[in-house]
Amino acid sequence: MSSLEAIVRELRKAARRALGARYAAHALVGAVAWVAAVMILVRLVPFERRAELAVLGIPVALAIAAAAWLIRRPSAALLMAMADIRLGLKERLSTAWERRAESGPLDDAQRHDAVQHAARASLPAAFPVRVNRGEATLVAILAIFALALALLPNPMDQVLAQRQADRVSQARAAKAVADAKKKIADSGKPSPKDAQIQKILQDAQAKIHEADSPRKALESITPAEQQLQKLADPGTPALQSSAQNLANALSGTAAGRSAAQAISTNPAKGAQSVRDLASQLQSLSPKDREELAKALAKASQQAQNSQMRDSLSKASSSLQSGDAASAAQALNDVASQLDSLQEQENTDQAVAAAINGLEAARQGLAAQADRDANGQGGQANAGASPSAGASGNGNGNGTGNGTGNGNGNGTGNGTGTGGTGGTGGTGGTGSNGSGTGSGSGAASTERIYVPGQPVPGQSENDPTPLGPGQDVPLSPYTQVIEAYQQAALDATDQSLIPGSERDLVREYFSQLGEPRAAK
Amino acid sequence: MIAEEPRVDATRVTELAQSLETELARLIVGQKALLRDTVIALTAGGHVLLEGVPGLGKTVLVRSLGQTLSMSFSRIQFTPDLMPADIVGTNIIGDTDGRREFHYQAGPIFANLVLADEINRATPKTQSALLEAMQERTVTVGTQTRPLPSPFFVLATQNPIELEGTYPLPEAQLDRFFFKILVPFPSEGDLLEIARRTTGDSTPQLKSVADAGAILTAQRTAREVPIAEHVLRYAARLVSATHPDRSELDSVRRYVRWGASPRGLQTLVLAGKVRALLEGRYNVAFDDLNSVAQPALRHRIFLQFEAEADGITADRIISEILEHTAKEPASK
Repeated sequence: MSSLEAIVRELRKAARRALGARYAAHALVGAVAWVAAVMILVRLVPFERRAELAVLGIPVALAIAAAAWLIRRPSAALLMAMADIRLGLKERLSTAWERRAESGPLDDAQRHDAVQHAARASLPAAFPVRVNRGEATLVAILAIFALALALLPNPMDQVLAQRQADRVSQARAAKAVADAKKKIADSGKPSPKDAQIQKILQDAQAKIHEADSPRKALESITPAEQQLQKLADPGTPALQSSAQNLANALSGTAAGRSAAQAISTNPAKGAQSVRDLASQLQSLSPKDREELAKALAKASQQAQNSQMRDSLSKASSSLQSGDAASAAQALNDVASQLDSLQEQENTDQAVAAAINGLEAARQGLAAQADRDANGQGGQANAGASPSAGASGNGNGNGTGNGTGNGNGNGTGNGTGTGGTGGTGGTGGTGSNGSGTGSGSGAASTERIYVPGQPVPGQSENDPTPLGPGQDVPLSPYTQVIEAYQQAALDATDQSLIPGSERDLVREYFSQLGEPRAAK
Repeated sequence: MIAEEPRVDATRVTELAQSLETELARLIVGQKALLRDTVIALTAGGHVLLEGVPGLGKTVLVRSLGQTLSMSFSRIQFTPDLMPADIVGTNIIGDTDGRREFHYQAGPIFANLVLADEINRATPKTQSALLEAMQERTVTVGTQTRPLPSPFFVLATQNPIELEGTYPLPEAQLDRFFFKILVPFPSEGDLLEIARRTTGDSTPQLKSVADAGAILTAQRTAREVPIAEHVLRYAARLVSATHPDRSELDSVRRYVRWGASPRGLQTLVLAGKVRALLEGRYNVAFDDLNSVAQPALRHRIFLQFEAEADGITADRIISEILEHTAKEPASK
């Protein structure tokens, strides 16, 4: 019995060794197969951490093989039977082990015979440690295959590089928005709408950061800009004009000269000076009062803001009637309106700074989106239409000279902006924008009225007289631009126009709106 | 607590078999497999059907076996007019003390070693007279059943080529034979040796090497040889594989009409045990079963007519079964 158990122990030890080698070979096959599979996979799917993924399979395969090796414990009966077959012991060991507790007439003799034959045999030879030739060949083939795949150019490298560039581009765009936020916060000119502006920028920054691609990120900028534009007060220019007219009128009076200077400096100081003037009305000489009343009347006539006009008119009439208290009250109202103007200007500046930040983000994202489009679909788009407007280094696609005005030379890649304020052709989307898009002839045929500074007493909204050779009346673009923009955006939304082209349209109108917002 | 069995000296069985083989080989030239299988069947207590063309020494072998064993021997020449009573005996009227009464006259079947020469020449009725004797080792005549001497060993011969006027043995009769041994034509060297030995002025005289008691002891000892469970399962798989409805082999499903009976499994295992002893081993190995599979199963596999038309033999079917049946190691 003890001899049989010793045989089992020896066989088990040999079997563990042989199994260990076998599982190690299996693990090697599994690991190499995993690496080869990863190499194939990364050629079909862009995957950045391919090395880590490939290496990950090796310890996993080893761990699985080790676990299987530890778990698998062949029974003694199986070991004996295997040894019988492999050592040619004619089922002596398996019979002896199976009948180890039996005491039949021949059992003792059989066990003795089995032990004797086992002693003459080399038991470890029943479980030799050897390399399976098939597995070795498979490992070699897989290794060569994986190595070849690793060394050959991978078409997904370009995709990964593009993704990286996309991320960098989006990070830069998000930083540009963050810089704008910081600039607004640090400006020292608080406005009541700062919180809303910061919120809009914060949302836009988050969307840019989280977007799947620069193109998606671009889609979040225009809505943000539209929200910001809604925060700007359209009555600010009229109030500014009224304040300037007041300053001009007061500058000719002895009593109001300092107030005029203050108003010209900034509305807040002007408001304080006007309050000071109101408190000093009682002490003014009649001559000064009359002079001041006339100046206020003149300013009232020129004021485009109705409240300002009313307050100035009331102040003038009160002074002329000798009612200094009423005049002082009216001037205090004017001061309040100047305070309001200061707030509006602060808001407009913040909005402009925010839009500038968004535009900076848009530039970078648009450039990257164009590069992406060229990289992915350049072959399909090549020569889709002649790129008359831009001759970039990339594959010229898209329409050339679109709706540029002025005589600016549009700079390449897609959204060339005119050199002198005109907008270049929304032309070719060159891969790197080094081309020079020539502004098209649209400048000479399209009539777009560019308003100048309104002359005193003329509203920006007033119809403009016809110019020489003009047979239709022109409208200031501030009156029509929003309608144009809305119509164009509606048209792009309803048409089968690619997203990048839609962005171009939005960007075009954003650029048109930028000087207005900045102003 | 398992009771300790009396110790069996298995080496005596080996020595007995070797003595028998050696003694028979003095007269029978070559034919080692034939001698080995015959000795195995004798040691296992089974009957043997010898098939071969005339002149190959079948009858000589059986007669020689009778000489080497100190046991009663009788020879029955089977002919078409042989009657059952000619084999098992009959009641005859005799005169005893002036009274006429029936006396049982024992037939030639009452011997330890019976040679049924050209058994297929007798009618099925006469062939059937051997059924009870071979299986039950008794003979029933009239209303009285009489036991046959022990050991009882039938060696039948048949000629496979002279089929005219013969009666093929029915399946039930064939199944009673432990082994069906094909007697091959001797090699050229063996032919020369036969010529030398049998054409001189003297022929070898065989001596007795065993008696009935030794044979019975050997038979009991052989049954004590242990066999492992997985080896036994292999034997069962072999027998199952001869059945067309259980076999995975196309040849079996196509050519076999009926496979081996459970008696075939018994034969396989018992013959394997004897062979293990003759090989000096105390356990049955796969090789033992493989070695005895042909003589144990060939007459228990009944082929379709299509097999005969395609020249497929039972031996070929068995070879395919041996080749394709897995020797699964013990799983415990």
